[in-house]
Order: sequence, then structure tokens, then C-alpha cells
Amino acid sequence: METTIKSRAFEELAAAAEGIMNPAVQEWREGGGKVVGYFCSHVPTEVLMAAGILPFRMRGTGSTGTELSDAFFSSINCSFPRHTFNQALRGEYDFLDGLLCVSSCDHIRRVYDNWKQNLDTPFIKIMSLPKKVGDPQAEWYREEITLLKGELEKQFNLQISDDQLRDAIKLRNETRRLQRELYDLRKAQNPAITGAETLAVMVAGSAMPAERYNALLKTLLHDLNGVNGTRDFRARLMIVGSELDDPEYIEVIEEQGGLVVTDSICYGTRTMWVDVDEQAADPVEALARYYIQERPSCPRMNDDQPRRAQFLRDLIQEFQVDGVIGERMLFCDFWCAEHYMNKMDFKEAGVPFIQLDREYITSGKGQLRTRIQAFLETMGK
Amino acid sequence: MLVGGCDVGSTTGKAVILDGASIVSHFILPSTTNPEKTARLAMDEAVKMAGLGSLADLRYVVGTGYGRLKVPFANENVSEITCHARGAHWLNPAVRTVVDIGGQDCKVMSLDKNGKVLEFAMNDRCAAGTGRFFEAMARVLGCGLDGISSLENQGANPATITSQCSVFAESEVVTLINEGIDLPSIIAGINNAVANRINSMVRRIGLTKELALTGGCSKNEGLAQALEKKLGVTVTLLPQDPQIAGAVGAALIAGEKANHQ
Repeated sequence: METTIKSRAFEELAAAAEGIMNPAVQEWREGGGKVVGYFCSHVPTEVLMAAGILPFRMRGTGSTGTELSDAFFSSINCSFPRHTFNQALRGEYDFLDGLLCVSSCDHIRRVYDNWKQNLDTPFIKIMSLPKKVGDPQAEWYREEITLLKGELEKQFNLQISDDQLRDAIKLRNETRRLQRELYDLRKAQNPAITGAETLAVMVAGSAMPAERYNALLKTLLHDLNGVNGTRDFRARLMIVGSELDDPEYIEVIEEQGGLVVTDSICYGTRTMWVDVDEQAADPVEALARYYIQERPSCPRMNDDQPRRAQFLRDLIQEFQVDGVIGERMLFCDFWCAEHYMNKMDFKEAGVPFIQLDREYITSGKGQLRTRIQAFLETMGK
Repeated sequence: MLVGGCDVGSTTGKAVILDGASIVSHFILPSTTNPEKTARLAMDEAVKMAGLGSLADLRYVVGTGYGRLKVPFANENVSEITCHARGAHWLNPAVRTVVDIGGQDCKVMSLDKNGKVLEFAMNDRCAAGTGRFFEAMARVLGCGLDGISSLENQGANPATITSQCSVFAESEVVTLINEGIDLPSIIAGINNAVANRINSMVRRIGLTKELALTGGCSKNEGLAQALEKKLGVTVTLLPQDPQIAGAVGAALIAGEKANHQ
């Protein structure tokens, strides 16, 4: 990735986002630490952390094809599970001691099914994620988290105390707080960090121990302190969508002059905009409430679009957004419907909006450039 | 003041030279494998036709099309979406919807009264509904692009072709041929299939009259007829070759830029 940031901390973070295995994970493994891979930002990673396990978010980064995994999917499965499972079949995820999925969408469910049948990772589990965001669903997820806790205790022969859970929540909240601080920099007229650079930093947060990450992020924030980004850009954009973990995609957008200043994506604000309640009597209940009710909502959740739309409107104001890009991976039905509703809302509010379909691995850059350039031109930028 | 627009498309290169509000010359040629060369050949020819000494006589040049970043003599580049809209609207100011059907993609744009793009949709994920599709069908049918376009060849009972994918649509056409279906029915079926696709893209943006077609495939009369039936509107004709609309738009923008210099 092209960058003007002069920071060793940034270099280490960006390198972690560029591949799957990285030195921090290697070191963790060599020290005897366990690693559990997880899909989807609804997985309560704090429980893994409380068990002393490193949560590692699943990606297909670096994939060049899906020849091994295609046989396991249908023609209407999206390219994210295809590439990620292909990486797993190639042995890129052999370092995992476990895999934790949630029933976030049918495509991820298929990964779980196929993984269970074809790979011998010692621990593999899928959690049942409720479809609505009410109190009964939070209670349901509380039970799911309790079950997860019990299974981890059994599998890894350990005990997870409430105090350990509270410590993990605090550590993870610290990550969220630092990430929000990073996003604060993007509110500036000439942000010290681009959207592509920010995404790399966010992805790195799911690929290394939280202590190490928080320390690097603190250093980065220090390094960026007072830096005035002098970049030439035509418009301030927000990107809204799903599992986008490739900074290169945002780089193409920014090369056209559309500076991405904020987002609502699976590696962005939705994972860190609010904290888990640290004072709650029952930390498991606090986690359940956070993942079902308190964190910014995902289109996977039914009957919650007005709250999501309000979240986007707030971000537009807070970050002085000129236009919105709605990205969606082909075959994603959640985001197809959501972007249609967003489009109508934005039209009414007079906010320029464009929907882009994409493949998991950034391809067709020429077509992406044309759309972004035309979008900026229609905005009169 | 002389300015130029150069539209380097996937299939053809187009150059237009404008002097104020009149087109001095324009030239179209098949794209080479080298976009710089395509741009140069097209513009050199337009310069010659305009009776000019050299490219240096043009005050400002705007590049557009897939090869817009590779127009060596352009002062800047503008997306083909903006250019087609500007060009079509200038050629006929009543136009509010533009359907550009090129060699490898298809776009629909809605315009305001000044020719500014309000919204656009673009299909570039598959060949169906593009010039590539017609080329493939013409090859299978052995009738040439003219054969597909000609109004005389549009059968009254269009065959049904449902595949969204041009490769499978080709298989469907081969099946129809082998079932003994007559050529005009197949040709009308092909144009219908593309018109269906464009119809759904237009509906995504919303149809506002007048509607104009641009791009190479706008010369396919059979397609225009099928589209009129689907959309329930008459396609507004442009007073110039609709294939050069993008280059005209680029030249118009070049004129504005030159004025601001």
C-alpha cells in the first residue's frame, strides 16, 4: 500500500493486514498460545480473550483463486467464503486451534459445514445468532455465550471467571476507544490518515493480541499527532457495506480523489462505536446486550433499518460527508436490500449515493475507477 | 477556438474537433491493442479532416472512455458517463435519459435540464447487452452485424432467449438454429433479450423523456425498435452519429475548460 505516514507502528499494522500469518501471531504461537479463528463481528471475542485464546478474524487475504473450494459451494455463494475456505484448504489456516462461526448468513454457514467435514481443526463451533434485537434475543444470546464459555472451558481445559471476562471486556474496550480516537483524526479538514490506511489499521486489530495492538495503536496516534494531511482530494466519502478487508479497494477510490473519511462496514465503526458495559453485574449479559442491542446494527438483523439509517445520518454529519458509497459483494442479499433502502433515504435527504457490486478480491479496477470518477463528477466535485 | 474530445473505447476510438458550437470534424476507427496509438490515430485523422496543421492547433483536449488515462495529448480526462450525457444533451437539449450501449458495457444516465448527470447505472460485469454480445450472435448466425440491425430481419414472433449470460445465450441460439427456427425470429429474439436487460436498467434509474441512444450499438435499428416497445417511448434521434456522443461531450468540456484558462 502506498502511504505517506511515517510511523514504524503503522508499518507493523499495515503488514499484518496484508497477509494472514504475521510475526505477532507467530510469537504468540511459539509461546504456546492458542488461536481460534472467527467469522463475523457478532462473535463475542472477549470470551476467547478471557480464556487466554487469541481471536483471529478469518480473511481470504492474498488468495489468487478458488479452484480448491469451488466444489464445496454453489454458484450463488459469494466470493468471501470461497476465497477464505480456499486459503484454509491450501493450509494457510493450519495454525488454528479452533474455528468459531455464527449463523450470520448462509454463506458463512456453508463454510462451517464444509470446514467441519473436510478439515481437522480440533475445535469447531457455530453459535446461533438471533435475528432480531429485542430483549428476548439478548437473553437468547446470553445463553449462547454461556454455552460457548462452557465448551471452551472443556475443550481447552480451563476455567473462565467473571473477573477474566471483565478484564477482557476492558482490554477490548480500550481497543475500541483507541480506534475511535483514530477516527476522530478523520474529522479534520485534511485528515492525517486516509481511508485505505485506516482500514489496514482496523484489520490488523483482528489479527494480533490486543495488548500488542493497543500499544501499536497508541504509538500510531502519537505519531499522527499534529500531522496535517495535505492530500489533494475532491470529496469526502463514507463507505457503507459488509466484509471489506482489502485496503486496496479503498485505495482505488481515493486515487480518484474520493477521500474515505468514515464508514459503516464490518471492520469499521460497527465494531467499535460503542463500548461493552464494564460495570454490569453479569459480564456475559453485558456481552449479549452489546452484540445484540447496543452496537451499531447490521442489515442481518430484522426490523432495525430505521436505527441503522439514523446511525448513517449521524456519521454523515459528524464527518462532514459529501457522498456515500454502498458496497456489496455479489450474491449478498442482506446488503442488496439494505442499499436499496439506503438509496431511497439518501435521495430524500439529498445525499449523493452510489451502489457498487464487488468481488471479495479486488478486481476490475478500471470499472471501479470509471464509476467513482463519474460519481464524483455527478457530485460536481 | 478549436478544442478536441477523444473517446478511446473498448472497440472503437472516436475523435471530435469542435469550433465553438459546431463540429468541425470527427473520426471513428477500430481500437488497436494500444490505447495511446488508438487515440493518436483517431485524433490525427480528425485534425487532417479539419484542415489543421497539427494537434497543437487545439487549445484543449479531454480524453474519455476506457482508455481515457492513456490519451497522451489530453489535458485531462473525464468519465465516459459524464461525456455521453453532455454530448447527447448538447446534440438534443430535450434529452433527459441516455442509454449508452458500447462494445463492452452498457450505461443508463438520467440528466437534468442542463445535461448534468443525476444518476447512472452501469452493466460491466457481463457481456450480455453489449456490442460483444451482438458480435458473438452475428458470428453464430453468420449474418453480420448489419443482419442483426436491419429492420427487415426483425421477425414478428421473436424467439425467447432467457439466459442472462451471453455465453449461454449463444448456446440457446445454437439450439434455436438446430430446432429450425427461422432467422428473423432468432434475430428479433436477440434484440428483445438485450432490450429486456436495458429496460430493467432504465427502470432502476427511472425513465424521463426524451430518451436517446448513444454508443456503437445505438445504430442497431432492430434493438432500438425492440427497446421502444419495451419502454413504451419513442427513441429520440440525435442529429449526429450517436457513436461520437462521448467524444462530443469530451470536446464540449474541453471548450469550457479552455474558456476558464
